[in-house]
Amino acid sequence: MFNVFKNLVSAKTLTHDDIQPIMEKMKDHLIAKNVAADIAQKLCDSVASKLEGKVLGTFSGVTSTVKTALQEACIQLLSPRRRVDILRDAMEAKQQRRPYVITFCGVNGVGKSTNLAKVCFWLVENGFRVLIAACDTFRAGAVEQLRTHTRKLNALHPPESHNGQQAVQLYEKGYGKDAAGIAMEAINCARDTRIDVVLIDTAGRMQDNEPLMRALAKLIKVNTPDLVLFVGEALVGNEAVDQLTKFNQALADHSNMENPRIIDGILLTKFDTIDDKVGAAISMTYITGQPIVFVGTGQTYTDLKNLNAKAVVHSLLKS
Amino acid sequence: MVLADLGRKITTALRSLSNATIINEEVLNSMLKEICKALLEADVNIKLVKQLRENVRSVIDFDEMAAGLNKRRMIQSAVFKELVKLIDPGIKAWTPTKGKNNVIMFVGLQGSGKTTTCTKLAYYYMKKGWKTCLICADTFRAGAFDQLKQNATKARIPFYGSYTEPDPVVIAQEGVEKFKDEGFEIIIVDTSGRHKQEDSLFEEMLQVSNVTSPDNTVFVMDASIGQACENQAKAFKEKVDVASVIITKLDGHAKGGGALSAVAATRSPVIFIGTGEHIDDFEPFKVQPFVSKLLGMGDIEGLIDK
Ligand SMILES: Nc1nc2c(ncn2[C@@H]2O[C@H](COP(=O)(O)OP(=O)(O)OP(=O)(O)O)[C@@H](O)[C@H]2O)c(=O)[nH]1
Ligand SMILES: Nc1nc2c(ncn2[C@@H]2O[C@H](COP(=O)(O)OP(=O)(O)OP(=O)(O)O)[C@@H](O)[C@H]2O)c(=O)[nH]1
Ligand SMILES: [Mg+2]
Ligand SMILES: [Mg+2]
Repeated sequence: MFNVFKNLVSAKTLTHDDIQPIMEKMKDHLIAKNVAADIAQKLCDSVASKLEGKVLGTFSGVTSTVKTALQEACIQLLSPRRRVDILRDAMEAKQQRRPYVITFCGVNGVGKSTNLAKVCFWLVENGFRVLIAACDTFRAGAVEQLRTHTRKLNALHPPESHNGQQAVQLYEKGYGKDAAGIAMEAINCARDTRIDVVLIDTAGRMQDNEPLMRALAKLIKVNTPDLVLFVGEALVGNEAVDQLTKFNQALADHSNMENPRIIDGILLTKFDTIDDKVGAAISMTYITGQPIVFVGTGQTYTDLKNLNAKAVVHSLLKS
Repeated sequence: MVLADLGRKITTALRSLSNATIINEEVLNSMLKEICKALLEADVNIKLVKQLRENVRSVIDFDEMAAGLNKRRMIQSAVFKELVKLIDPGIKAWTPTKGKNNVIMFVGLQGSGKTTTCTKLAYYYMKKGWKTCLICADTFRAGAFDQLKQNATKARIPFYGSYTEPDPVVIAQEGVEKFKDEGFEIIIVDTSGRHKQEDSLFEEMLQVSNVTSPDNTVFVMDASIGQACENQAKAFKEKVDVASVIITKLDGHAKGGGALSAVAATRSPVIFIGTGEHIDDFEPFKVQPFVSKLLGMGDIEGLIDK
C-alpha cells in the first residue's frame, strides 16, 4: 500500500523488483484469457525488459504503466506488418487470366469447410465466380457438406443475377483419391472455364501425423496457391503454438524448395464461443508473425469479420 | 501416452523433494511452482491450478508440523490427491443395462468430434454383442446426415435420419421410438454442435433431451481446448443433465488438460477417449490407473487413503 503511494508522488526509475510482481499477475491474467503459457511468459518478459530503467512519470503508478506497455505490445502484435488483400490480388489474377487460388488447412474440426463457404459467399458478393475444390477425400460426408454449401450459395446468388452463369461450382472426385491431384485438376478446370477463384478444402490433420502433413506439403508444393490460410479455432489453448509451428515446419521441410510456401495468414474461427478469452489470437500471431486475415464469428455465411485489434486487446486486458 | 509429458514434469518436480536435503517452505514452493507451470502448459484451468496450489499448501504447515513426520511423503500424497481430484469427480460412471433400451445423447461444442465418436461408441458396444443403432438429430450442419450415414453404413450399424425433416426434435423422437419398438439396447442420438452464447441452440438441445429422455448424456470435448472449456461445460451441465465426458483427438500433441476442467465443471467422469479418426481409435478410460501411470509411480496408490 505504502509503496504504491510513494510511487505516485515521486518520480522514480523502474527496477526489476518493481515490475516483477506485477508482471507475474499480468502473466496469470493472460493465461486465464487463454494465451499460451509460454507466450504469456515471453510477452511479459519483453515488456518488462523494455520498462526496466525507465523513469516513471510523476502521476503514473507502476501497475498502470505496465498495463499500458503490455497493451501497446499486444496491439502491435495484432497489427499486421503485411496486409493480405484478397480482393485486389484476385482482381489482378483475373486480369492475368488465371484463377486466384486459396488453400485452407488446419487440424480436425476447426471450421475449414464452413469458413471456406463463408469466404466463398464474400467473394461472390464481390462479383467473383468461384470453384470449390473438394480435396478432403477422407472424412465421411466432407464432399456432401461442400455440395450442400454450393447449392445454398447458388440459391442465394442465382444465375439470373450473375449474367446467367453459376456463381459457385464444385469440383469433386468423391472419396479416397489423391488430394493434390484433384486440386490440380480443379485449378486447370477453373483456368479453362474462366472461373476467377479456386478455394481448396483439405482434410483436417493432426500436426504430428507425418504422412498427412507430407501430403499437405505436396498439395501446396505442386499447386502453388496464391494464399495458404491456416484455420485455427479461438477455443484452442497451448496447442495453438504446436499446431502452427509444426504446420509451418512441415510445409518447409517436405517441400525441398529454397523458398518454400508456408502459412500466409490465419483464419481464426469460433470467436463467438469464447466470451473474452481471446488469447488464441495472441498466441497464433506471436508464433507466425502472420496476420489474422478473417475472424469466424458464427455458423452462417455472413459471420466472417476482420480482426479488430483494439477490441481484442480490450477484451484481453479487461478484468 | 496421453498426458505423458505432463506426468514426466510432475514426477520430476516431485523428485526434487527427494533430492533436497532439508524440506522447507522454499523447497515446497519451488516444487509447486514447477507443477503449476506444467499444468498450465497442459491447459488445465487456471482456477483449478491455483486451487490445487492452495490446497496442497494448506495441508502442509511447516510451523505446526510435528518434527518426526515424514514431510516428503505428506507432500507427495497431498499432490497426488489433488491430481486425482482434478480427473476424478468421485462419481461412478454410468453403464448401460443389458436387455433394456439405453438412450445415449451426445452434446458438445461445434467440431468437437460428436458424430465421429457416436459411431465409435456404437461400434464398441456392437462388437461386445449389444444391439446398437444411431440417430442423426443434426439438421443444421451441412452434410451431417451423410456423414453419420456413411460412418454407420461402413460399420454396419442401423441408423435413422432425414434429408427433408428440418426439426431435429422430431427426428430424435421418431428415431428413438422406432428403435425402442425394435428392441435396440444402445440407442445413440447425435446432435448439432452448439455453444452457450446462442440461446436458441441450447433450447433446442433441451427439447431433444426432453423428447428422448436419455439415460446418459455425454459431453464431447476436444483435447486441444484451452481456458474457455469451463464456462461452456458448466452451461451444458446446467441445461441438460450431462453425466459423462469423452475427450477426443488425444492422438495429437494435446495434453487434454483443458478438457479436464469439463470434469470439474460437470462433476462427471471421463468414460472414453478418442485417439484417431478411425472407428476403433477409441479406448475406455479409468481414472485411478490413469493417474498412477501419469505419475509413473506404481506404488503411489498406497499413498492415498480412501
Ligand atoms: N460457433 C461457430 N461455429 C463454427 C464457426 N466456424 C465453423 N463452425 C462450426 O464448426 C463445426 C466444424 O466445422 P467444419 O467446417 O466442418 O470444420 P472442418 O475444419 O472443415 O472439419 P474437418 O474437415 O472434419 O477437419 C461446424 O459445426 C461449423 O458450423 C464459427 O466461427 N463459430
Ligand atoms: N485425429 C482425430 N480426429 C478426430 C477424433 N475424433 C474426431 N476427429 C475428427 O474431428 C473432426 C470433427 O469431427 P466431427 O465428428 O464431425 O465433430 P462434431 O462434433 O460432430 O462436429 P459438429 O457436428 O459440426 O459440431 C473430423 O475431422 C473427425 O474426423 C480423434 O479422436 N482424433
Ligand atoms: Mg472440412
Ligand atoms: Mg456432428
